[in-house]
Amino acid sequence: MFKRSKDNKIERNQISYHSMRDTSLIRLFILPTIILLVVINVFPLFWSLILSFSNYSAKMLTQWGENPEMIGGVNYSRILADPDMWNKFITTAKYVLLSVGGEMILGFGLALLIQLKFKGREFITTLLILPMTMSPVIVGLMWRLFYNPNWGMFNYLLGLGRIDWISDPSRNLYSIVIVDIWMWTPFVMLLSIAGLSAIPQYLYEAAEIDRASWWSKFRRITLPIVYPILLVALIFRTMEAFKIFDLPMGITGRGAMAPPLIAMHLYNISFVTWKTSYGSAIGYIILIVIIAITSIFIKYLNKAKQ
Amino acid sequence: MKKVSLWLVILVITVSMVAVFSLNGCKKEAAPAEEEAAPAEEAAAGEQFITIHWAQWAPADYLEKLSKGFTTETGIKVTVEQTPWETFVQKYNTEMIAHSDAWDIIVGDSQDIGNMAVNGHYVDLTDWIIEHGVDKTFTPASLTYFAEYPKGAGKYYAVPCEGDGLAWAYRKDLFGDPDNMAAFESEYGYELGVPTSWDMLKDVAEFFHDPDNGFYGVAIYGDNGYDSLAMFAEQCIWSFGGELGDYSTYEVDGLLNSEGAIAGIEYYYDLFKFVPPGFGGAFYLETNDAFVSGIVPMSCNYLAFFPGLANEETNPYAADTGYFACPPQKGPDGVERQFAALGGQGASVVTYSKKQDLAFKWLEWFVKPETQLEWARLGGYTCNAEVLASDEFLSFTPYNPTFKKTMEIFKDWWACPEYDELLRTFSEDIANYVVAGNGTAEEALNKCVEDWEEIFGAAGYYD
Amino acid sequence: MAEIVRKKKNITRYFVIFIIIVITIIYLMPFLYIIYTSFRPWTDILEYPPKIVFKPSIGSYIRIFTSRTVYPPGEKLTEEEMANLSWYERIVYNETNEEVIRIGDLPRRYLNSIIIGVASTAITIILGTICAYGFSRFKVRGKDDLLFFILSTRMLPPVVVVIPVFLMFRFLGLTDTHIGLIILYTAFNVSFAVWVLKGFIDEIPIEYEEAAMVDGYTRFQAFRMIVIPQAATGIAATAVFCFIFAWNEYAFAFLLSRKIAQTVPAWLPYQMGVLGYDWGAAAAGTILFLLPALIFTIILRKHLVRGITFGAIRK
Repeated sequence: MFKRSKDNKIERNQISYHSMRDTSLIRLFILPTIILLVVINVFPLFWSLILSFSNYSAKMLTQWGENPEMIGGVNYSRILADPDMWNKFITTAKYVLLSVGGEMILGFGLALLIQLKFKGREFITTLLILPMTMSPVIVGLMWRLFYNPNWGMFNYLLGLGRIDWISDPSRNLYSIVIVDIWMWTPFVMLLSIAGLSAIPQYLYEAAEIDRASWWSKFRRITLPIVYPILLVALIFRTMEAFKIFDLPMGITGRGAMAPPLIAMHLYNISFVTWKTSYGSAIGYIILIVIIAITSIFIKYLNKAKQ
Repeated sequence: MKKVSLWLVILVITVSMVAVFSLNGCKKEAAPAEEEAAPAEEAAAGEQFITIHWAQWAPADYLEKLSKGFTTETGIKVTVEQTPWETFVQKYNTEMIAHSDAWDIIVGDSQDIGNMAVNGHYVDLTDWIIEHGVDKTFTPASLTYFAEYPKGAGKYYAVPCEGDGLAWAYRKDLFGDPDNMAAFESEYGYELGVPTSWDMLKDVAEFFHDPDNGFYGVAIYGDNGYDSLAMFAEQCIWSFGGELGDYSTYEVDGLLNSEGAIAGIEYYYDLFKFVPPGFGGAFYLETNDAFVSGIVPMSCNYLAFFPGLANEETNPYAADTGYFACPPQKGPDGVERQFAALGGQGASVVTYSKKQDLAFKWLEWFVKPETQLEWARLGGYTCNAEVLASDEFLSFTPYNPTFKKTMEIFKDWWACPEYDELLRTFSEDIANYVVAGNGTAEEALNKCVEDWEEIFGAAGYYD
Repeated sequence: MAEIVRKKKNITRYFVIFIIIVITIIYLMPFLYIIYTSFRPWTDILEYPPKIVFKPSIGSYIRIFTSRTVYPPGEKLTEEEMANLSWYERIVYNETNEEVIRIGDLPRRYLNSIIIGVASTAITIILGTICAYGFSRFKVRGKDDLLFFILSTRMLPPVVVVIPVFLMFRFLGLTDTHIGLIILYTAFNVSFAVWVLKGFIDEIPIEYEEAAMVDGYTRFQAFRMIVIPQAATGIAATAVFCFIFAWNEYAFAFLLSRKIAQTVPAWLPYQMGVLGYDWGAAAAGTILFLLPALIFTIILRKHLVRGITFGAIRK
């Protein structure tokens, strides 16, 4: 399958000894991974596409022509015509905006602070990255206890009254945003630290001589160099936040008073009411939105890298 | 480059074709998915055992304890496998479609029986039930709601296992406090006591509601993830003279949005003003928690969750806790009705089980009056008419008399296979008014009628 | 002038450190709260305002390890029966009036988590290393395309493939099996592993292998004796990441496992107690579950930090 091209035999970087065995080795080395990915990722993607044009329900027995029956783009047109669906996308967008925005600002700010060399800095960084390495659903569960309006500590420590952070639909989106920020700010912080440490010190020294203000140093030196890496963090967090599922499952559960987030809705549609193909269509719309958002970001990233 | 992408496309297409075709083949052969039926320790050489699937809660533990008696009698081991409520229905639906023989008996939700019967997952028990006289020894209402599908057709798919329904717990000390009684009487003009109507219940809740001091009027369901809010709403609707619809013709317009139904949902809305904060997500646990932490004078819950309230270790007010069944109510039409929402489950034999003979043996043992009495003693809710009527049963726990009363007045949700979609739309529409406070009761119910007619129409009931 | 500037700098310095410490403490509040909750006796948990000083109890830890049923109301144990109870049964009896009927599901779920985590990590690392090596050392047709393909599967949101994966698993009988989840987690980790490991292997000079192969080593021997030891740090860092992913994963475990292969995250949020939900047991379980991740993070913090930034930047 992979035939060696004629022009590579002189290339220094490639090994040309034992070339016959290498050809088969390539297959042996690369194919297992590719096959696994095709079976678990690509094939379901196609299947999902086919399903989304049918009216299949996984709860009922499969009878071809009836369940599933190919019904064309009905699922898609129903989704796009449903004002409720739009509401769900808007809520999700709001969630992404608030949580990712908060993480970027706080994470970068924290990185600027923690740049300072002091004893125990590494220890503190380790403590800060703890939430990130933990299971989101368990983190959510933990916060559900913490938030409980009747006996949790959250309100008590903040000196608030018995405010309901979990089931009040006007507020519980923000309680998930808070936890998301709590979890992922250190991620942005770590990336920012990596970016900041790449700034050569002499640039600052030169600016010092010019008596540049803190702000102008920040704007002229720090930001342009850190910008690409911040964009990377932004892409990652946006994609993750868009498909958030575990965290709200831990905090609010999937009831209708839970914030109408899109991934949760997909779960409810597909595995609670078993409208399998309708769910597949929603999945595809999510995929398209994510691809669109990421490609915009990547465009900016490529520009920034140049 | 081109060769590689071509190769990828070919691979993808082959894999998809293989899978689609084999899926097709599978359904025709109805090949059961291979499943590890039980943990290794139970599969020890030649030992007979059955596995019962139920939700994860206390009654399932009682059933496990109860079934030890069966094991000593017959040598057949019984495992009660428990799945969290959150995924209980989803998991057994998943397994049944794959024709799994992981379980021999499912103690499934009453509302799901239509789906399971229509799709052939449950064994038809009609003959068995008549042969063993279950239709005579168990209360007729329990058989209708836990076992029969379609309702009124005389075909049974389950044996009532855990009878359950919504009922109330209240604080005797607060209700009997002379100061409270005097204040209540001067404010409302009649004596404070166990509510004798839904209207009085609301007055009592209003009277005790004192959020500034961290005390609230009542603890009721508000969560609508599965069926909690819907269950409370339906008993309000019935009590005020409304209906969910006609269970045989699937007509809903004019029933679900009738005057009585609207009054019921308005009542729910009014009562919901007196709940503690955070009750938009309240189910059995929040109502119990609120009661135990002493911030409400009364709470509504499934009877299955009352053992925790009668337990002095877990409820500091256990000695002062009383219980009552849902009160009657005069609807807008002036007729007095009394209803309670049904919970609970029936035990059904799985079609794909390889040990149906053992499963039937267990059922035979389970429906015996002695077993039913022991079941009631351990904390299970029997549906055996004789046991229910016995003085012994009534004295087992302080809430058993309430249970008996509830058994006489309960009524269930739709049982057709579409019940889950009905639940979801109903919960969303009603919660939007009751919990979130948008619109009016009439609008919510009209929206629900619309949603339901669409669901029934799509399912072909109007053809 | 310089003196003042330095003083000012010192003050800002202390101020910043102070702020960082305050932030860290605020950050750790939820953890402290969970530890605190897990040691509170049953009746105290629902108390408000919460007591700071209390008599700690390990009742919650016993409850998470056992399956219990409450004694029928009014049934009291005699002195003699009490004496026959083992120590943990007595604690459960005194705290919640329950009878221990068997060992709970936690040990089994924990074992599942470990089996699935370790196996999927091992397979991911094996596949990932050889694949990364292949891409790093051989001229592969359409290399960039293939690498992009591998990367793009990582970007694919699981919500899109969850339905077909569910159907596929159900059809193949992989629902609720260890193998099913192992395959799934391997597939989700391997793309990340290939990308990170390729970076590490690229850094190893090719001359080492050439020399070894001139000495008569086969390609495979060269790979095993030269490349793997050199890339060990990178492999370790990647392995930690893969393990943490598998250990923490919820959505697929929740959907595709029920009992036999269920992992802790899919099980822990649903703890029932006498009154409904058992908060104490959930808190205790949370502590037990977070412990391994906590230890890993502290021991391997350098690799982790490097892995997080490196993995992200490479993409």
